[in-house]
Parts: sequence; C-alpha cells; structure tokens
Amino acid sequence: MQNPTIVLGVIGADCHSVGNKILEIFFSGEGFKVVNLGVMVSQSEFIDAAIETSASAILVSSLYGHGEIDCQGLRDRCIEKGLDSILLYVGGNLVVGKTPFDEVEEKFKEMGFDRVFPPDADLKQVAAFLQAEVQP
Amino acid sequence: MLKNKKIEMTEFNSIRKEVLTAWPTGKDVRLEDAFRYQRAIPAAKNFAVAMKNALDRGQILLQPRAGVALVDEHIKLLKHLETEGEADLLPTTIDAYTRQNRYEEAARGIEKSIAAGASLLNGFPAVNHGVPGCRTVVEAVSKPIQVRHGTPDARLLAEITLAAGFTSFEGGGISYNIPYAKKVPLEQSIRDWQYADRLVGLYEENGIRINREPFGPLTGTLVPPFISHTIGIIEGLLALEQGVRSITLGYGQAGNILQDIAAITSLRELAHDYFRAAGHSDYELTIVFHQWMGGFPEDEAKAFSVIGWGSVVAAFAKPEKIIVKTPHEAMGIPTRAANAQGLKATRQIISMLTDQRLFDALSIRQEVDVIKHEVKNLMDKVLELGRGDVAAGTVAAFQAGVLDVPFAPSIYNAGKVMPVRDNEGFLRIFQKGNLPLDNEILAWHRSKLLDRARAEGREISFQMVTDDIYAISKGKLIGRPK
Repeated sequence: MQNPTIVLGVIGADCHSVGNKILEIFFSGEGFKVVNLGVMVSQSEFIDAAIETSASAILVSSLYGHGEIDCQGLRDRCIEKGLDSILLYVGGNLVVGKTPFDEVEEKFKEMGFDRVFPPDADLKQVAAFLQAEVQP
Repeated sequence: MLKNKKIEMTEFNSIRKEVLTAWPTGKDVRLEDAFRYQRAIPAAKNFAVAMKNALDRGQILLQPRAGVALVDEHIKLLKHLETEGEADLLPTTIDAYTRQNRYEEAARGIEKSIAAGASLLNGFPAVNHGVPGCRTVVEAVSKPIQVRHGTPDARLLAEITLAAGFTSFEGGGISYNIPYAKKVPLEQSIRDWQYADRLVGLYEENGIRINREPFGPLTGTLVPPFISHTIGIIEGLLALEQGVRSITLGYGQAGNILQDIAAITSLRELAHDYFRAAGHSDYELTIVFHQWMGGFPEDEAKAFSVIGWGSVVAAFAKPEKIIVKTPHEAMGIPTRAANAQGLKATRQIISMLTDQRLFDALSIRQEVDVIKHEVKNLMDKVLELGRGDVAAGTVAAFQAGVLDVPFAPSIYNAGKVMPVRDNEGFLRIFQKGNLPLDNEILAWHRSKLLDRARAEGREISFQMVTDDIYAISKGKLIGRPK
C-alpha cells in the first residue's frame, strides 16, 4: 500500500507553531506523506489542499480557544466539495476555558469530526488510529 | 527603503488617515481629545511612572494576562485580579481575530459571546469596542493598565487604546510578527510599528509618557537568551528613534536559574550599552521577566510549581516586573479565580525571597559574558548588513538567517536554528543555521552538548529537542531518555 497522505494545519487566526512543527516531523517519521499548511489556515485552504493531494485525512489543530468558532461547518464544506469520506481529526485546546474533555469531544463529534484529541494526546496512538481508519 | 529614522509628520498624518478608516470605530479618535483625557489620568494609574518607581525602589511588580469578549465581563475579570489577586499592574489581552485585523470576525465573536452568555473569544476586542468601550474599562480600574497582544499591524489598536487612556503598549515590529504571523513581510511590520512608536512619541511630546514593551519571549520555546536579547535591543533602538522614552525589555524564563539570572543581568547591561552607543541618553529602561512560556503540566499542583520556580528566578534576578502564569495554563484560557491564584502563588515566593542574595557571583558573571559575546556576534552582523542602519539590517539579517527565531511560524523566518538544553539545563545551540556565531562560541556550545550526550548515553539528536519541549509539562526541565 502507498503511504497515505494527510493534510496538517492550525486553523483560523491561530499562530501556535511549535506543536505543528513537531507533528510534521513525527507523522513523516511514521511513514505518512505530510502536507503541512502551517499556521493560520482557513477551512477552504484545508479542503483545497486535500483535493489537490488526494489526501485521506485532514488533521486540524487549534490551541488558542477559538476552535469552536473556526471549525463550524468544516464537515459540510468537505461534503459540498466532494470529499465525502475524508477523515477529520481535531486536537488541541479546543474551547475557551477549562472544560471536561468528554463535553469537548461530544461537541466536536457533533460537528462531524471522526476523532477528537486533548492537548496531551499520545501521538503513537493517533498514528495507529490513522493507519487503521484511512481508506486505502 | 526602510530606515531607522523618525517618521515625518506629513507622512505620519497621511498614513494616519488610512489607519483610522480601517474600521468604523477609528473615526472617534481625535488626538487633542486623547491628550486631554490622558493628562487627566492620575500618576498612580500611569504605567511608565509605575515602572520607573519600581526601578528606583528595587521592587518587582506583578502582572497577569487577561481578556474576555465583553466590556462588563472584562471589567469584572480585571477587578477580581486587582482585589482578590492583588495585581500591581493590569493587562488587557487582545483576542486573536483583532490581532490579525479581522474585525468582522471579532464582531461575530462578540455577538456569539452575548448569545452564549460566555466569552467565545480568547481576549478583549478593543478595536470593535472603540474608544468609549475602552474608556469604560480604564475608568473602572485603579491600577495602571496595558494593552497586551501579538499584532503585526497594531496601528489602529494603538490609536484607539492610547486615546482611551491605556498607558502601556506591548509589542514590536519583529517580536509581534515572526512568532505571531505567517505571511507578513518584516519590512511592513517594522514600518507599522515605527508608526505605533511615533504615535507614542507624539504623546511624549505632549507631556504624556506611555510605556512600550517589546515582547521578549518570542515563541516561548527554547529561545536562547542571546537571540531574544538581540531582537529586544533592536526593537528598543527602533522605539527610541521614534521618540519613545519609557522602554521595558523582556525575557522569558529558560529554566536554568543561573542562565536566567545572567540573561536578565546581561539584557539590562547590553541595552544600556547599545542605546548609549546610538546616542540615546534620555530614556527609562526597565526589565520584565516572563514565567515559563512553554508547555505546562495539566495538573494544577504541578503547574503551581512551575509558577513558583519562575518566581524564585525573578526574586533573585530582580526585574522590575514579572508576568504571571496560571494553574490552567495547559488547558487554555484560565478562569478569573485561577488567574488570581497564579498571582498569589507568585507573590508568596517573591515576598519570602525578598532579602536573599544568590550564590556564586563568578559563574553568573561568566554566563553574562557568554551572552554578551553572542549578542555582539549578531548585532555586528545586523549593522554590517544594514550598512549601519538597524532597521534595514534587521530585514536583511532575517533574510540571511543571521537573525532566526526558533519554532516561529513566519515564512520570513529561516527556521534553521535548533536549540537544545545542555546537561545542566542551559539553552545551547544544536543546529546553528546561519547564525553568525564565531568558532570559539560554537565549540563551547558543542562541548556542553557532548557532556549531555555522554551523560545520557545517546548521540546529540533532534529527539533531545522534542524531549526538551515536553519536559516541563512532564515534570522535568531536561528531556532525558526513559
């Protein structure tokens, strides 16, 4: 099987770049083809990059608390653009204020994300989910 | 062509017309009215006065970060920090949309926050609230208050908040671009910050001293002191040229207490050296220290320890101000109760250590000398590239990777420098990229890293860097192998 392509980026007006650089180095090391859009990425930039590179998953990061506003409607836009089965993962500090993770997870799953991760997610685990869930 | 030269009034006024039309609230800004309003603010609420007093009296002032979407809620938050948290200085942290001049999105954030009954923005959208909204905040508190943000183009934000009575403005053309933006050319952000500094200069010329604070910690992630010092000194020089007189240079805790104390000492000495060498004598220089700006432990008790460690460093290094973190740091925006707890934990340690002096002055002096040597390597090259002009030299230096901020998001930053800790936790250089460090210094960095590699029984590698980034949130300073 060919190495799956994943699109990586920090959504919205968020410029937290440290974790983004680590994710790029980590997932490349795990054998994924990583298309890293860096920080401050709009929904349409994620989608355009996924279409151009025939990516199997979009990994959205958000650290600054506006994740709830920035991520709304991403699943619908993917479907509109024909990305019916693309995997959507999201992770980071997704809402403003300290909120129990179950509530955050439920909120983002309702928004159409396949998996939701806290800021201290185990990257090996994330990579294992990705390997298992990407469409060949 | 970008130059470190005071902006002429005719040019300033023509730029100003455009700046004030970028959002409807800009039309409320009238300088004569602003000067009148600022002159009526008592000295006890002026930030520059507070910093100068702290310098003269050897005090360390405590300041939190805080900001929410709505005016009334923001006032409640600040009042809580003032009374329950006993903050000496107050902030108004600006939301991320405003920082990118996305005022329409900030407006939607305000609407959604009203609807949700909770702040959905990570700060206070000062431009949208305009001069009247900001004045309501300034008038509701009794301590000096500063605008803290991360805005590459902060011209309209400066116009509105200074007219509204804020007496300190954080940021700079490098420190609020390279770590905070992706595609803003450095020439542009330096020019836009020359405007903000000139505006502060205008207030100065009208008898109102506004404090300016370049943002020291940059990416907050393993930034060696010589890199942030060089950038802070350059931003200080740029501000002085535009007529700023109250300057607070910053440094973010790196983790090894000796290196941190040496960093604060060298920052003060170096800044005076470079400011005087550029012909400046009429200025007030103070230093701000930031508690750990990297990743925090999620556990609140552990987070308090990180806060405490930063407070210990401050107590010994004696900056005039410390920026305080909260036990919710790992989880994002803190509640106001958590924010006040950070202030109390900090106050306790600083009060306990007030009269103590630290060990081994000689080792600190050696580390001070190393940092000064490194800064000189960088500054010499910046000035050479700019043929003597520090503004032009900065742009050329970033292009060449002579100035390079570790882990910064900007495409105008080379991103080739990779720092790592040595065996005692000092930040050293792993990959130098194009930094113009001389061979003597590089060999010394290398020998320090070899000590660590030997102690850990592994090669010097990128894994060490990743381990160091996560170490503090996992309870260690140095990321050792398991």
